[in-house]
Amino acid sequence: MSMQSGTPEAPLAQPGPTGGGTSRALVAQDGLAPRKGQASGPLHALGPVVRVTHDAISRYFTAVIVGAIVVAILVTLKQGGFTLAGQQLKNALVLGAIYALVAIGYTMVYGIIELINFAHGDVFTAAGFFAVFISGLLHLDGLAASGFGGLLLALAIVFPLSMIAAGLVGVVIELVAYRRLRDSPRLAPLITAIGVSFFIEGVLLLVEGPDNVPTDQASWINGTAFTIGKINILWTDLFVVGMALLLMFALGEFVRRTRLGKAMRSTAQDRTAALLCGININRTISATFFIGSALAAAAAVIYSINYGDIKWNIGFHLGIIAFTAAVLGGIGNIVGAGIGGFIIGLIYVFGGSIFGGEWSESLIFAVLVLILTFRPVGLFGVEVTTRA
Amino acid sequence: MPERLAALFRSSGGKGDRSQGPTIFRILALGASALLLMGWFLPWFVNDYSAGVGYSPQDALISPPTGIGTFCIYIMAAAMLIIVLSPIADAIASWRGIVMGRRATRIRFYAALIGFGLTVVVWFLVSIIQEEPLFGPFLPGTYADSAVWLTMYGYALAALVYGARPWILGRPSIAFTLAGAPFGIFLPLMFHQAPDFLLWAAGSLAIYMLLALGLNVVVGFAGLLDLGYAAFFAIGAYACASFASPIHGLHFPLWILIFLGAGIASVFGAILGAPTLRLRGDYLAIVTLGFGEIIPDLATNNVFNLTAGANGISGIDQPKYGPLDFSASPRWYYWAILIVVVAVVLLLRNIERSRVGRAWVALREDEVAAAATGINTTTTKLLAFAIGASVSGLAGAFYGSIVRIVSADDFSFSVSIAVLSIIVLGGIGNIAGVMLGSVILTFVIFWVLPNMSGWSATLSNTVHVPAIANFNLSSYTFLIYGAALILMMLLRPGGLLPSRARRIELESSGETESLAAVQGVA
Repeated sequence: MSMQSGTPEAPLAQPGPTGGGTSRALVAQDGLAPRKGQASGPLHALGPVVRVTHDAISRYFTAVIVGAIVVAILVTLKQGGFTLAGQQLKNALVLGAIYALVAIGYTMVYGIIELINFAHGDVFTAAGFFAVFISGLLHLDGLAASGFGGLLLALAIVFPLSMIAAGLVGVVIELVAYRRLRDSPRLAPLITAIGVSFFIEGVLLLVEGPDNVPTDQASWINGTAFTIGKINILWTDLFVVGMALLLMFALGEFVRRTRLGKAMRSTAQDRTAALLCGININRTISATFFIGSALAAAAAVIYSINYGDIKWNIGFHLGIIAFTAAVLGGIGNIVGAGIGGFIIGLIYVFGGSIFGGEWSESLIFAVLVLILTFRPVGLFGVEVTTRA
Repeated sequence: MPERLAALFRSSGGKGDRSQGPTIFRILALGASALLLMGWFLPWFVNDYSAGVGYSPQDALISPPTGIGTFCIYIMAAAMLIIVLSPIADAIASWRGIVMGRRATRIRFYAALIGFGLTVVVWFLVSIIQEEPLFGPFLPGTYADSAVWLTMYGYALAALVYGARPWILGRPSIAFTLAGAPFGIFLPLMFHQAPDFLLWAAGSLAIYMLLALGLNVVVGFAGLLDLGYAAFFAIGAYACASFASPIHGLHFPLWILIFLGAGIASVFGAILGAPTLRLRGDYLAIVTLGFGEIIPDLATNNVFNLTAGANGISGIDQPKYGPLDFSASPRWYYWAILIVVVAVVLLLRNIERSRVGRAWVALREDEVAAAATGINTTTTKLLAFAIGASVSGLAGAFYGSIVRIVSADDFSFSVSIAVLSIIVLGGIGNIAGVMLGSVILTFVIFWVLPNMSGWSATLSNTVHVPAIANFNLSSYTFLIYGAALILMMLLRPGGLLPSRARRIELESSGETESLAAVQGVA
């Protein structure tokens, strides 16, 4: 307990941009160090050891993560040969694409209003049900089965409609639950976000029931595209990864090139200054929620096409995992969130294949704890806003 | 040493927070109405409706008037109506800006007294001398006793509220304690005919009250949002299950187990708290959430063969000390936990007012400034985690012993959210508010919702309206948590009973006022 208390270290409220040891100096100059002798004996000696280890891991955190993944892939290769490892790699990419899309929503919202939008995972779930509802309403299953053109048309209908619906849900959430609390103590919007999450889950539980709901989209895309060795690469796999990359690229271009994207970036950097420059903050934040939720909706449609069923509470764990991806990539960093999603997919799948599938989620949560302990700014933390 | 221990539980003679007077008054008035309504409606909902309940206006409604008891009941009904409608009238009056005179208060006071007296009379007529043929023979096994007690308590509370209004306004916390304590203490006697309700009182109300008190230390006092609080609950429960069940062949007595559970949980609290020391509010929340998911996962996956996996540990011992047979009735658990609750409340209140408590406030308001004034933030934060976790471990040990089977499903995220909803509803950082919140929320979530379908079926038989037979809200739990959190945060962020420091913080809305100074004065 008093492991660290004897060291000249006073934890700072905010991990600085570099995340490691430098920011600490701000408070604990040598003269301001806590009284010596609070911890004595072996614990006192432990302090510097812990600190040095901590700093070393913080500095080489990227190497640690990448090394762990490489080792995991090698272990899988040794255990199951090329086929198993290749299949797992494919699974990891598919899963990672979905996490990446959801993670972008988290990172955009966090970047702009510094709020963990707990409801984001549940917007994902809701969007999945929207997709099921829309394709049922418009009989898109028959259309998709009628041939390649029909499939394209069905996708071109279900994607925008689900995305708009989910985007509007996101905007309404922000309007009703978060906007009024923007300047309150930090705990308040966070608690509200949890409340919104539970509220959406409650509504979904009431409307859709407690069981898995099969989606007919699972039969939309089928067949094997090509085979490498013994690994069948399905059309759905290509579709999932391709669609995710396409959307992420489009988002990147949007944020980089459009006026609204510029407004988002400046609002994320400094809201007051952005306001002074004549940027409509409320509209920008609404747009951020719309885009983030729409991407989650795209992920949900992809999910329903790839996995074939959804449940009222899948969004909760998926949301935390995607948030882990966002943190891993450096919160507020859109590209980082995309890459983080794929890394988390790799960790999830290969960790599961080594330790057993029942540990996958625990492993991700453990990774989350490790990241926040050792490198809260994430792997690509340089680009992060100064306040995050 | 004994003096120092005694000092921990010492009660200071402060008058408490006088500014809460109006709120407390309103809550007590509403409570009196609620008790009367519950007492009146209770027989409508229970199965043995026709067995003769014998005190409430509903009998008069369905039977021809025959004797003195019926006459009394008509008067009682009028008195009850006055009391039940009073808070509504007060609300309308304050909305329209009308000041109700002392005469109105006096009328209500006499109505309460008359109602109380007549309840006793009718109860005497019916159950002891069985004078009134109207009500038929009194059958044990109905909820009649409970209904009578509820009614009497309601009238007594109303008499207190309207008879001693200035006193309540002046000494709200004493009045609140005085009004609530007898109900808490005598609850198992009042509801001795309803073992289910006692089980709720012990297994949900008392347990969640402990949990909420513990989480209040972490979230309310120290301002660290802990979303994995159920993990410590799980640790306490599994500690109890491991040391008092056939699984490892150990059979420790419960009174050791609660300390063991608290100790183990507090160690875990400190261990899990350590990596989060440098994190800010929302990161901290998500890390604790991660822990809260990992711990039940460890139990489900039967790590080191300690936990019997997904089936859970069953056959947990229930203690028996001479006549105090804990397995016979939940009432012994209830009273045992009640004693623990009282001890915990006194302890936490004194810690809140101690140097550590002030350090928590300083930490909550500005961590950098707190560190600069010489507060050891590491120790202070870890202490908050450890103390919060230990209370949770206490609750867990009791929980394991009550339910006798512990499995990881009992400690999901929704438990953490339930506890969080309680403290948000009651008032973050205010012990009395947290206790009030736990009463309200556990009553709704763990008593009303699960029983709703049975009640609506009975009620539809009673009043012959088949349409309401299938009225069931049991799947609204998540919705209620969510709505409670959102609405409280938007409309009354301090909770039903805001703590003094929070209220100032919210009213000043960002303008800096030294909260530490305020707490220091309090």
